[in-house]
Amino acid sequence: MNKFAIGCGGVVVILLFIVIIAALALGGIYNRLVRLQQSVDQSWAQVQNVYQRRADLIPNLVNTVSGAANFEKSTLVEVTNARASVGRVQIDPNKAPADAAKLEEFQAAQGQLSNALSRLLVVVERYPELKANQNFLSLQAQLEGTENRISVERGNFNTAVQNYNTAVRSVPANFVAGIFGFAPRPFFTAQPGAEKPPPVNFNFGTPAPSPAASATP
Amino acid sequence: MIPGSTRASRVVCGALAANSPSHEQRDSSSADNRTGHSVRRGAERCTRRRARSPNSALAVLFGLIYFVTNSRAAEVIPPKPDRYFNDYAGVVSKETADRFNHQLAEFERETSNQFVIAIWPTMPSQSSIEDFTQRTFQSWSLGQKGRNNGVVLFIFVNDHRMRIQPGYGLEGALPDITCDDIIRNGIAPRFRQGDYVSGLTTGIDLIFKAIRGEYKGVGKTVRQLHDERSNPIGGLAFFVIFVIVLILIARLSRKRGYSYSSGGGPFIGGWSSGSGGGWSSGGGGGFDGFSGGGGSSGGGGASGSW
Repeated sequence: MNKFAIGCGGVVVILLFIVIIAALALGGIYNRLVRLQQSVDQSWAQVQNVYQRRADLIPNLVNTVSGAANFEKSTLVEVTNARASVGRVQIDPNKAPADAAKLEEFQAAQGQLSNALSRLLVVVERYPELKANQNFLSLQAQLEGTENRISVERGNFNTAVQNYNTAVRSVPANFVAGIFGFAPRPFFTAQPGAEKPPPVNFNFGTPAPSPAASATP
Repeated sequence: MIPGSTRASRVVCGALAANSPSHEQRDSSSADNRTGHSVRRGAERCTRRRARSPNSALAVLFGLIYFVTNSRAAEVIPPKPDRYFNDYAGVVSKETADRFNHQLAEFERETSNQFVIAIWPTMPSQSSIEDFTQRTFQSWSLGQKGRNNGVVLFIFVNDHRMRIQPGYGLEGALPDITCDDIIRNGIAPRFRQGDYVSGLTTGIDLIFKAIRGEYKGVGKTVRQLHDERSNPIGGLAFFVIFVIVLILIARLSRKRGYSYSSGGGPFIGGWSSGSGGGWSSGGGGGFDGFSGGGGSSGGGGASGSW
């Protein structure tokens, strides 16, 4: 009888011990997933930030370029329209999109703007007065820096998403992820024309590659 | 002996032999060169043994192929530099380089901004200049952690290309337009005339002027703080004891009459001289040596050509 009680007590203690260990482990996994998700959201904010930076440059760029004598209007209209369609794709800047279609839409709009911009910069080659314009030169420098920032931040975002997705899908974290609803996140994919910054070529001596070729798949 | 194992050792010998000339060609730290020598010694021993086998040429060939394909596949990010001013292309004199280096080290003491200059003959990467600079920046972790106040000036002499890239924390003080202006109107015209010293002096002054006052320094570089923490005297004592123990072991085993194979002696010699070189080159960075502070960059800045 006495022995039986001791045995029962022992089993209870061991079970309790197992439960505590399991709870600690689950908590650790949960915290890790939260941390990884935070870093995805953070790098998404950076991505939005640099895209916004590019969008903010465009009105100024359009103004400067349209000041040039009889500048081709069609390219300018194209840039302005692309800029407007980028503004229509609204994604919460503080939370990375969970929906792959939403991200694709965002990416398509930005890709369209990239193409329009690269076409504009090619057309600019034919206007020597613009190439000597100090305002235009500084806008070009900013645009080039921004394109590079975009590619850097997109890369950082993809790395963060990859780390998060790996964690969410691997054992045993996938059980925790399933219970608490951590879903894998979509990331930027290479699309024709959108996967790289437009060929912004600032060496005015050499002709830039035709953007029309890369725009039409 | 199992035939399979001898073949494996032959291939390894081949790889060693193929590796050794690359160590000599590469313009790297003395520690690397020393290990290169000891590897080569090992490789010579291999060659002697291998000379008997008819398949030796084949093994060397495989080793070479292995080495060549491997070196192509891996993108080379230059190792972290020991100094602030790194002239791998040899465009300025040693005295000027030391002066620039001292200037940049002083700048970190004063402002905590880490400004590193590297001059290569050509770009050590197939990628774009922006991509290369970004990855090198991250690997060297320029700027203080939290402040991200690093900046690089990379120059590729034969490509006639250069790039200024600030870390996140200096993007405000050194926006793309300023970088572009410094390159276009400050550095490039002087480089075009072949006057590298004057171009660099102007570039350094302009960048100093732009980013001075953004942060305050602590009067010491990251390297100095790190050296103080790691207590170099303790390290030296450990090293001396280690050498003494090695010598003792060597003597004892000789007294007992173990006959070493001819490889044994040079191996110990090679090893200890290698680590000795590493130590002294580490100390050679000295007062104005550089260590990255853990900052990062978001790809801002400007590239230019001359």
